[in-house]
Amino acid sequence: MVDDLKILVVDDEPIIIRSCESILKSEGYNVQGLLSAKDAILRMEQQPFDLVFTDLKMPEVDGITLIRWIRQKRPDTGVVIITGYPSQDTIKDALELGIIDYVPKPFTPTVLLDVTQRAVSWIREKKAPLEPKEKKEELPPSMLQEIDRVISQYRSKPGSSIPVLQRCQQIVGYLPPEVQKRIAKGLNMTPAEIHGIVSFYSFFTMKPRGDHNIRICLGTACYVKRVEEVLNRIKEDLKIDVGEVTEDKKFSLETVRCLGACGLAPVMVIDEETYGAMNPKKVPDILKEYA
Amino acid sequence: MEKVRTNLLMCAGTGCVASGTPKVRAALQEELEKRGLADEIKIVLTGCNGFCAEGPVMLVYPEGIFYQKMTVDEMPKLVEEHFLKGRPYEKLLYKEPEKKHAIPAMNEIPFFKHQVLRVLRNKGMIDPDSLEEYIARDGYMAAAKALTEMTPADIIKVVKDSGLRGRGGAGFPTGLKWEFASKSVADQKYMLCNGDEGDPGAFMDRSVMEADPHSVIEGMIIGARAIGSSKGVIYVRAEYPLAVKRLQKAINDCHEKGLLGEDIFGSGFAFDLEIYLGAGAFVCGEETALMRSIEGKRGMPRPRPPFPAHKGLWDKPSVLNNVETLAQISPIILHGAEWYRTLGTEKSAGTKVFALTGDIKNVGLVEVPMGIPLKTIIYDIGGGMKNKKKKFKSVQMGGPSGGCIPMGLIEIPVTYEDVVKTGAIMGSGGMVVMDEDTCMVSTAKFFLEFTADESCGKCTPCRIGTRVMLDMLTDICEGKGKDGDIEILEDFSRDVIATSLCGLGQTAPNPVLSTIRYFRDEYESHIKDHWCKAGICRNLCSFHINEELCKACGACLRACPQKAIVGEKKVPHRIIQELCIQCRTCYDTCKFGSIEIGPAAVKEKKEPAMK
Repeated sequence: MVDDLKILVVDDEPIIIRSCESILKSEGYNVQGLLSAKDAILRMEQQPFDLVFTDLKMPEVDGITLIRWIRQKRPDTGVVIITGYPSQDTIKDALELGIIDYVPKPFTPTVLLDVTQRAVSWIREKKAPLEPKEKKEELPPSMLQEIDRVISQYRSKPGSSIPVLQRCQQIVGYLPPEVQKRIAKGLNMTPAEIHGIVSFYSFFTMKPRGDHNIRICLGTACYVKRVEEVLNRIKEDLKIDVGEVTEDKKFSLETVRCLGACGLAPVMVIDEETYGAMNPKKVPDILKEYA
Repeated sequence: MEKVRTNLLMCAGTGCVASGTPKVRAALQEELEKRGLADEIKIVLTGCNGFCAEGPVMLVYPEGIFYQKMTVDEMPKLVEEHFLKGRPYEKLLYKEPEKKHAIPAMNEIPFFKHQVLRVLRNKGMIDPDSLEEYIARDGYMAAAKALTEMTPADIIKVVKDSGLRGRGGAGFPTGLKWEFASKSVADQKYMLCNGDEGDPGAFMDRSVMEADPHSVIEGMIIGARAIGSSKGVIYVRAEYPLAVKRLQKAINDCHEKGLLGEDIFGSGFAFDLEIYLGAGAFVCGEETALMRSIEGKRGMPRPRPPFPAHKGLWDKPSVLNNVETLAQISPIILHGAEWYRTLGTEKSAGTKVFALTGDIKNVGLVEVPMGIPLKTIIYDIGGGMKNKKKKFKSVQMGGPSGGCIPMGLIEIPVTYEDVVKTGAIMGSGGMVVMDEDTCMVSTAKFFLEFTADESCGKCTPCRIGTRVMLDMLTDICEGKGKDGDIEILEDFSRDVIATSLCGLGQTAPNPVLSTIRYFRDEYESHIKDHWCKAGICRNLCSFHINEELCKACGACLRACPQKAIVGEKKVPHRIIQELCIQCRTCYDTCKFGSIEIGPAAVKEKKEPAMK
């Protein structure tokens, strides 16, 4: 049963669209193709799709912009990228936007079908009605592939567990047990050893963070300037404690041991933006910027 | 190279960037273009200038005019006045608080006047991303000299003679450390740099790495040559992304230009350098723990000996130097040990960088000759208290391993020996100034919270000792202190110091001991009178309005979140104790100092004891 899923292929090369269409249609998928991201946005405003294959480098509107649009307007649509340049950077950008997988150009029919099948089954699982219990969130295949790539890149280097964990946390956003196990296996270590490292260093987190991560500096200079009051205000406003995520997953709150910006104390950092000379009154306006 | 009339050295350190450098820079650039000056006046983004409190700051070079607190709106005026009419734009110049007259030249501003820049020699002067600009200021001359004209023994002798001591905290003589490692025989040795600046309140290493990354690399090349190492690692905190970026760029440039890699300067010496990102653990500032961390394990210290000079990273002889120490190396090699000793004292030679923060006017980084009186740093360079009405209470030095120095000792010269005598330590150079509104018991508690949390848990005295002490301090701050608690705390401190494995535990009780030593009366009034005189511990204070001082202005009345203050115009206000939650808002709001802090016990009585 594949025909109830609608797939859209976006690429500026007609040959890619034609080959995708013929390969996928032969397997019974419902496929449409478009030559630009702009057309894709217009089409998607009219009708929803379940899965979108998109090129990254396209004239006018590029793939990343399209993915951003989809994430905002059609969050249920799964995205797979087709790219001739599977470089770390572009993939990283796309991964951060939550793509399911990628197809390297040029591709064979088997590769395309493989990726499609994986993406479709992943979408189906997501669409399946949630169990009353909390459903275990599975990582998209693209993330797992990236994790494996990082592991193989570092495997031969001694003492690479910390860099690998740092990179994987960048990819996934946090380090759930399944990722730790995968890394342990890849680096030929025990899961206990990996967990020991994850739990030792404050940089690593086993909980997913919110869209925006708020970090409050608890260094001496900030303490003397009563950062405590700022922290309490944020806790009150967001109704979360340190180490928690708001219900809408917008914000997570952490404390750090001195950001080394003591001249600006008290200091708060949201994502990469630093806010100095904080006081409780400034909190609501700053949070509004991210809402 | 393009020729320009004037360089505008704009600070792009973390502090100034957060204060608005990017926007101001864009506005300034636009204005320069509009006036047709963009070809002859060039904006350069530099590393941290050090005067963080006045940011965004800019130095006009070569005139040496210093602008501060720049805003987007002022840029058209600034360009017109300074660059068209040729006179400094007074509104953005630094002004002496009392005298009100503007000081245009950077070198005459008190904050800069007393400083001697050796470590920070390039701060705010060069583009940190440019190898060429570093070389233009004698960069890599020392490395060339060390590699082509000196033997390892010569290098070690100069560094030893200079009297340079490790700037990371303990103050171990650098030359001696190098000598030990150079004498170890092994197929591989490691030259390591500790950029895991963990002391809260210290940010000089960050500043050096961000403003002058090459100075660290050059120090490492020279050190590596001295000990015979071909591999180096810079261990940097993950919290310092900009420092990592700048160091990486610097390393890449060096590789490209042959300053790192094989056969440096045709001397046959090879040295490779990489960055290792720390993952956030204070204990990794300890050398054996840091090495474990690079090996990809939990960063826990191990007993010494064997010392890292014999068995360090991967069990090979290793030297670990602090960022600031390494940045001192190249001037020493270039100008000699005698030159280095012209500043400082017999046992504490040269200069030291301090991070001046807290309740002080001029917050920022300062580099001074050692032996300078503490008072000069706080009052002349630091400009005294931020809030002139408040009295100086104490300055905390050495972070969680250090102690609080009280008013009575403020004349001491700042050297390793003199600071240790007070119960504090030089540490990495954090100086947090506290005014009379600080509760010293809470401050001690703050540091113990830190060490108890960061204790790695390997040795019992540190893991359990810090926790027990923290619980006692928490009790005292909540009004549950008992007679004899102070003595138990002192006993406990001595035990933890004597029996802990590494520097973290051995110094963790210092903040407690030093505050008990100088502010014992505060501990006693917390325990016996249930009175936190600074009004910080909520359970141990009450607020009262002194009717003689109250101007009945209504400011506190409006600010009180509990509506616990009553009064009307021309009638002195009064706080209803039953409603008061001791939030201090009225105390901070009152401009006349009419709010007084009394003991908690008063609250139970119907009428406040104050008149």
